[in-house]
Amino acid sequence: MLSIKEIASYLPETKVSNYAKKEKFVLDDNFIENKLGVKNHTLKMKDDKASDLCVKAYTNLLDKISIEKENIDCCIVVTQNPDFNIPHTSAIVHGKLGLSQNCACFDISLGCSGYVYGLSNIISFMKNNNLRNGLLFTADPYSEIIDSEDKNTALLFGDGATVTFINDNGVLSPQEFSFGTNGSAYKELICEDKLYMNGRAVFNFTATTIPQHIQELLAKCRLDDSDIDKYILHQGSKYIVDTIRKRLKVSEDKVPFEIYEYGNTVSSTIPMILENEIRNVETKRMIISGFGVGLSWASAIIERIKI
Amino acid sequence: MNITVENIKEVIMEADVLGDTDEMKNDIPLTDQGVDSLDIVNVYLLLEEKFDIKIPDEDLNLVQTIDSIVEYINKKLG
Repeated sequence: MLSIKEIASYLPETKVSNYAKKEKFVLDDNFIENKLGVKNHTLKMKDDKASDLCVKAYTNLLDKISIEKENIDCCIVVTQNPDFNIPHTSAIVHGKLGLSQNCACFDISLGCSGYVYGLSNIISFMKNNNLRNGLLFTADPYSEIIDSEDKNTALLFGDGATVTFINDNGVLSPQEFSFGTNGSAYKELICEDKLYMNGRAVFNFTATTIPQHIQELLAKCRLDDSDIDKYILHQGSKYIVDTIRKRLKVSEDKVPFEIYEYGNTVSSTIPMILENEIRNVETKRMIISGFGVGLSWASAIIERIKI
Repeated sequence: MNITVENIKEVIMEADVLGDTDEMKNDIPLTDQGVDSLDIVNVYLLLEEKFDIKIPDEDLNLVQTIDSIVEYINKKLG
């Protein structure tokens, strides 16, 4: 069964402190630590593109697991900040990694729901085409589109990338997916020149739609809270994660929040937490849930199939 | 249904904002009394859900204080 074998990530060394912006944006420590949940956000090197971040995540993957590059037959990149409009970034990653010419490559244009969509896509695509070894990358360098004067966005986002290795000898297996879209609200989170976010609209969307969506997925799978060890929610901000948790009436220890030192890395926040959970054998069944630009959302039940 | 100051304070408490709602002044903007920019959107959402109304962005200047929220919602519920 195709499943998640290993996950690795890359975070740039350069960090920008939100404490240094306290005066400019009239912030206090409580707001930075307990509302945003982002003390520092990572910033990529100026010349690095999405593909470079992917390559660095792949290099970190090789520190964890031995991969025969010539056997990789599928490579997908989830990004909305590609290297270029044309070609697709996955082809550039393919070239930089020197993958086989028999490798399928395509991009998925999604934001914070992108990892869940990507996971469903790569497993379905590989299964239907009898492929054996896949790489699912997430890399969305938002520093390229952030207006540093915009308080709504300048404090939240960090650069980073992840890679998830899929094969038929994996540890974590997605069992059931659920997806949703509200395209009528696409203007609430949009980039024409720089990123614009209507904070109130995005908050209302996440606070109302996502808890209900997660509850519906649980009901569909005939599961309840006692069957779930972890809820791995997209790390939009601490306030968003706390709000969803409270509305789900789930205990705090089941809902990790881990972006204090790097920020909201868009489609990479979920795999960055999964990267740790993959080794936590206590976590047997979890929900992953991504939500954001589109407005788009997606969730999945993930089960440990091997220790 | 006539909405009271107490009804609004209950909603503010439900939003988990910092500080004691009993100490809050009814005629001073919530944002000047420790309710930050994230808490305030949560308060508005809870008001919308609790009283089954919509508070459009263009009306936000009408719902800055507890007194003005009471007046706004009572007008809406007419």
